[in-house]
Amino acid sequence: MIADEQTLSRMMALAQGGDKQAYAALLTEVRRWLERFFSRRCIPAQRDDLVQEVLIAVHNKRATYDPSRPFLPWLAAIARYRWVDYLRAVYRAAEDELTEAETPSETEEDSLIARLSLDRMLAQIPHTQARLITWVKIEGLSIRQAAGRSGQSESAVKVNIHRGLKKLAALTEKAE
Amino acid sequence: MSRSTNELIREMADELTPVRSLRLRDGLARVAGALMLTLIAIESIAGLWRGVWQGEASTFYILTNGLLLLLGCAATSTVLRMASPQVGNQHEGPRWAFLAVALLPVAALPALLGHDHPVVALGSFHGLKCMSLSLAAASLSAVALFLWLRRGAPVSPATAGLHLGIASSALGAGAWGLACPLDGDVHLGIWHVLPVFLGALLGRLALPSLLRW
Repeated sequence: MIADEQTLSRMMALAQGGDKQAYAALLTEVRRWLERFFSRRCIPAQRDDLVQEVLIAVHNKRATYDPSRPFLPWLAAIARYRWVDYLRAVYRAAEDELTEAETPSETEEDSLIARLSLDRMLAQIPHTQARLITWVKIEGLSIRQAAGRSGQSESAVKVNIHRGLKKLAALTEKAE
Repeated sequence: MSRSTNELIREMADELTPVRSLRLRDGLARVAGALMLTLIAIESIAGLWRGVWQGEASTFYILTNGLLLLLGCAATSTVLRMASPQVGNQHEGPRWAFLAVALLPVAALPALLGHDHPVVALGSFHGLKCMSLSLAAASLSAVALFLWLRRGAPVSPATAGLHLGIASSALGAGAWGLACPLDGDVHLGIWHVLPVFLGALLGRLALPSLLRW
């Protein structure tokens, strides 16, 4: 069970004041939250890396949290930002190594977190672009496979993914 | 990244130092300071136009500079808020102010086209001078906003760059406008507004890569 919003917010305020114990506890909670947040939204083998990158971002940018505002929307904005970066990096660097994604077991709470966050972003870009991004960057299909499955040319798939990622980057703070 | 997440958490907790959270009022104070310095520089180099206070300025002059400063304030507030990300943040405040400013060239167009010599009416020499000086007057605010965003965590660098360009150029054009005694519709509507479009373009194209973190 992840700590509630008020507790997280209080722990973060203490961490900004230099309380190491509160900070360690907060980061542990944040880690759990992120693991659920990214569930089904990245290649499982790379989830730990993504979680660590967000934890480092939280550490480096902890001064940007305003203690008078809720903590989770702040964390979610940073997590979304890193997720879009991750999707870009997957596309650039590891395209050939991707394998079919495993389907991790998950609770309803996991799904809820994902749906409130990353799925909602994908739902706001054109369906074709969202589908191609999911296939290539999350499920690990190659461009050729995605082209075959979608009936588009390989270059059209690349253009659609590129455009979709640009749109996702602009949606990082959107709540609806 | 091979080290374990537990180890990473332990290391980050060990090296924790107190930080002062980014506060909107601190950012506002910095930009206000930059604008004040800009106005002092304009006063000492070119001198602010005293005619404004003696009732000599046209309505269009008041409207143009007022709208530019309003747009500058709206976009500045947005840029400062973008340093502290939050799902649910809205950054659409400056949109209406920008559209209002964009109406100024449209309002100037009939006067320009109705003129016997439109090219002369355009007054390119004074116009170009005002445009360049407006952009120069934008530089201090731009630096203040840029440094603020670099300290922060803007999660939409493209939008942040665009708003930074609009904010600083609108403040710059508004500040320089207080020194320019040319208060005709064409001059103000074209040459005092053009820097905002240029600033927006520059911010959108040049800044995103510098704002990524």
